Formats: sequence, structure tokens, C-alpha cells
Amino acid sequence: MSIIALAIIIVIKIVVILLVILGIGAYLTLVERKVAAHIQRRPGPMVVGWHGLLQPLADGIKLLTKEDILPSSADKILYNFAIIMALVPASLVFAVVPFGPEVHVLGYDIKPILTDVNIGIILAFAFGSLAVYGVALSGWASNSKYALVGALRKAGIIISYEVVITFAALGPIMLAKSLSTYDIVMAQIHQKVWYIFLQPISFVVFVFALLAETGRVPFDIQEAEAELVTGFTVEYGGMKFGLFPLVEWYVEVLSLSAILTVLYLGGWSAINIPFVGFIDPFFFLGAWSGFLWFIIKVSLLFLLILWLHWTLPRYRIDQITGIAWKVMLPLALFNILISAIIAPLLRG
Amino acid sequence: MIKKVFEKPLNLLETIFFLDFIKGLAVTFKQGVSKTITTHYPYEKLTPPKRFRGFFGHKIVDGFEPQPAFDEWVERMKIEPQKGASRCVVCYLCKKACPVPDLFEIDGKKLENGKKVVSVFNMNLMLCTFCGLCVDACPVDCLFQSDIHETASFTRRDAILDLQKLETIGKSWQQRREEEPDRIWIDDEARDVLWRENKLKLPKVDNA
Repeated sequence: MSIIALAIIIVIKIVVILLVILGIGAYLTLVERKVAAHIQRRPGPMVVGWHGLLQPLADGIKLLTKEDILPSSADKILYNFAIIMALVPASLVFAVVPFGPEVHVLGYDIKPILTDVNIGIILAFAFGSLAVYGVALSGWASNSKYALVGALRKAGIIISYEVVITFAALGPIMLAKSLSTYDIVMAQIHQKVWYIFLQPISFVVFVFALLAETGRVPFDIQEAEAELVTGFTVEYGGMKFGLFPLVEWYVEVLSLSAILTVLYLGGWSAINIPFVGFIDPFFFLGAWSGFLWFIIKVSLLFLLILWLHWTLPRYRIDQITGIAWKVMLPLALFNILISAIIAPLLRG
Repeated sequence: MIKKVFEKPLNLLETIFFLDFIKGLAVTFKQGVSKTITTHYPYEKLTPPKRFRGFFGHKIVDGFEPQPAFDEWVERMKIEPQKGASRCVVCYLCKKACPVPDLFEIDGKKLENGKKVVSVFNMNLMLCTFCGLCVDACPVDCLFQSDIHETASFTRRDAILDLQKLETIGKSWQQRREEEPDRIWIDDEARDVLWRENKLKLPKVDNA
């Protein structure tokens, strides 16, 4: 494969991933509003397009045409830099997410993953924890009490749960004997078992940490509409305001759901019967059924997160950090012990 | 005596398997898949109950006036009742009942045969609280409150109801809803039964 072909393939991958992620992120606002509405027994957006299908476009136009206000006592450079710091690391996580199995397109073997680095999982968590800089900087630069309190809460939560999420992910990593996301999925396919069946404790811990890192209920203490008027975004307006929830609630949730799918739900593999094999109702699609399975798994996870969001009330900040250090971290450590016992028993 | 209610702590099983979470999720799932209960407002509208206190109107002379009150008041105020026009007898009782001094502007004009008809009847609804005291005061069932409640307008002038507007509202009301039984909600049978059961039996007042 010549260098030029490689470069073209990579550029195409980057463009496709960015467009898909940001486009889907925008449309997930509509999904969220619809789910929230139906849980509260109302239909949600119905006016713009059929059942409100064009609502995200209308929202985008509205946000773009709004006046861009800079608070008079804000730090101008950090204020704008915070948006980049929030958006870029969250999108970069998708560089290590494998969307499907290797496919043949126009005579080339293409792995649908941007960079199959051998420390993919660590990279994903590193970028995930970088996202806190966006929030912390925006809180500091806004020069507002609400924003600062929200940013500090977010920082506290991320510090607690970044430890927990990494220790929870250690279980699947030990079973797969690899840090590469692509290899972890391949290991699950070879061992014929999704790691959720071997690591249920770790899965629950990971879901809790996912909710906390993305600021979803019951851990949305940094937004806390009732007491903090949505925390760190309070001084932002227009599209700058629109980007923060887009990043936090949609792009980050999508990226962490994708990582969770890779670690516990066998990535692009079909329905699994542990240690027996895989049942694929979409076998007629060939290699492309993997993409469909990946999309199905991530969307079901996203719907689960939405369902939790619109059901549960909020924890207090001390309860959240208490759960992280006193319950989740010991559970994750206990799970590592179990993994160490069962890891040698698995073949592959 | 004060009864103390303590929060029932979760047992170990409930804590491990998130049973309280699952209970809540079951509730929201059930709500999520059931039918929505909203009205799609500008396109669908609910009909207010008949006793709704909306914009005012004048009922018109159509042969169904409350008798003998109407004939008595017509005679007393020397009014010439005109078919298809307002029932108003220019008695000023609504203006007297109104807690706001400047809300009503009422005047009658003399005809050549010496009798009167109402000529000016302005209500400035910018001042109105829709308390309905004027409606209670009206002796001939002329002034009433209709079911018109979407009353936003572009000018303050639109908030002043003159005689013509009041008659229009009254005509349309008499066409649409005069025949309707006087219930709080039209189709609420259970409430109707409740009202009949609770009918108060007040002792008769002896004026003599």
C-alpha cells in the first residue's frame, strides 16, 4: 500500500468519523427530547418537520444567529480556549474506537479504526479525563460564582471516577491480554464470550463511572439546574453555549458507550451465547453486519442512559465522591482479583 | 400526637441489585410507552366549561329572556326592546357592582316615542379582573361571561369591548352553547352525581 493511498484513506476516515459523530451528536438532542417527553407523557417537538425531525437544524440556526456575548470581567483567551478544550479531547476518543471488522473496499483491506495503537484504552481514558480542563477553564474564565462552583464539582467528580473507571477497565484488559481496542474485541470473539458475562461487577462500576464522567443523572451535580442554573455554561451564549451540552451529554456519552461496548459487549460481534458461539440474524450482510451490531449496541446503551437520566433524582456531591471511593473503588479492586483468577483459565 | 415516620433502610439484596432503581425505571418505562395526554395547542383546543369566566358578551333579545324580570325592568327603565339587539336595560347595576370605578362606560339614548335604548356600552378589560360581580348584578341575564379566552391583541384598543363586539360575542354564544346543560365539565358524569348527592338543603328564610 503506497503512502498516498494510506494518507487518502486516513483523511477519508477522519472526515467520515467527524461528520458522523458531530451530526449524530446534534440529532441525539432530538432523541433525548423525545425520550424525555414520552417519559413525562408528552409528545416533545412536533412542529418543525414530521414529528420534529428538523428541530436540531432549527436549534442550530437559532444558536448561530444569536449575539455572541463576552462577560465584561471574563478572561477572554481562556473563555474561548475552554470550548476547544472541551470539544477536541472528547472527539479524539473516537480515534481508537473500532466500528467494525476489517472490510475489503476497492481492493484495500481497511480496518474501520482511525489508529489501532497498542495503548488504545489508555489513550481513550486519557482523553476522557482531559475533558475536565474544558469545564474547569470555562468555570474559571467566566468569573462567575455559579460557573466556578459547577466546574469545581465536575473536577472533583472526574478525579474520583477516572480512578474508578480505569481500575474497572483493568478486568477486561487482563482477560484480553491487550490494551488495543481492536485486539480486545478480537479476543472476545476468539474466546467466544462477551466480558460482561465474566465481569458483571466491573460492568456496573463502569456504567456508574460513565454516568459520572459525562455528567448524567444521577451524577449531574455540576449542572444541577435547580441550584446552579446549569453550572459552568451559565456565562456562555449562542453556539458557544450549545457546544458544551453537545460535547458533554452526547459526544462524550457516545465515546464512552463505544468504549464500554468494546470492553464488555464484544464490539461488533453478534449476539453471544457464552463459550458456545455467536448468533447473527444479519448474516446476509456479510462483514457489514458488524457495523450494524456496533450501532445497535451503542444506541441501546445511549437509550439506557437517557432512561436513567429521566428517572432518577440527583445525588449530593459528598454522596457521589463517597460512592466512588468507598464502594466503587473497592469493588473494582475486588474485580481485579477475580479477573486474575479466571484470566489463565481462558484460552486465546 | 406527632407520628414519626422513618425512612425504611434498604436491605442488602436491594442494595446489591439496585431494586429501588429498577422500580423507578419500571414506572418511567410504563409511562414512556403509554399514550401522551397533552393537547397539541394551536392545532387542537379544549372546550372550556360553560361557566368559564372569559370575555364578556351581551345576550340579545330573542324571546327567551328571563320572565317576568325582563318585562318588569323594561317597563321600569322605559326601554324599547329591539329584536336582535342587546337586552341591556341601562340600569347601571353592573357599573355599581364593579369594584373598579372606570371600567364601565354606559349610556342610553332617547327615541322619539319617549323610550330609551342602550347606545354606549364600553368595557375596558385592561382594568378587569374577571371577578364576575357585574354578571351577578345583571337583572335581565344580559351581561354574561363567554368561553373566549385567547384574548391577546396587538393594541390596547382591542382590549376595550364596545356594544357591537359584546353583541357579536353574545350572538355566537347563544348559537353555540345556550342549549348546553349547566355542568362544570360537559362530559363529567361522576362529578355530576357528586354534585347532586351533595345538594345542600338550606332552611327556608322567613321574611314575615
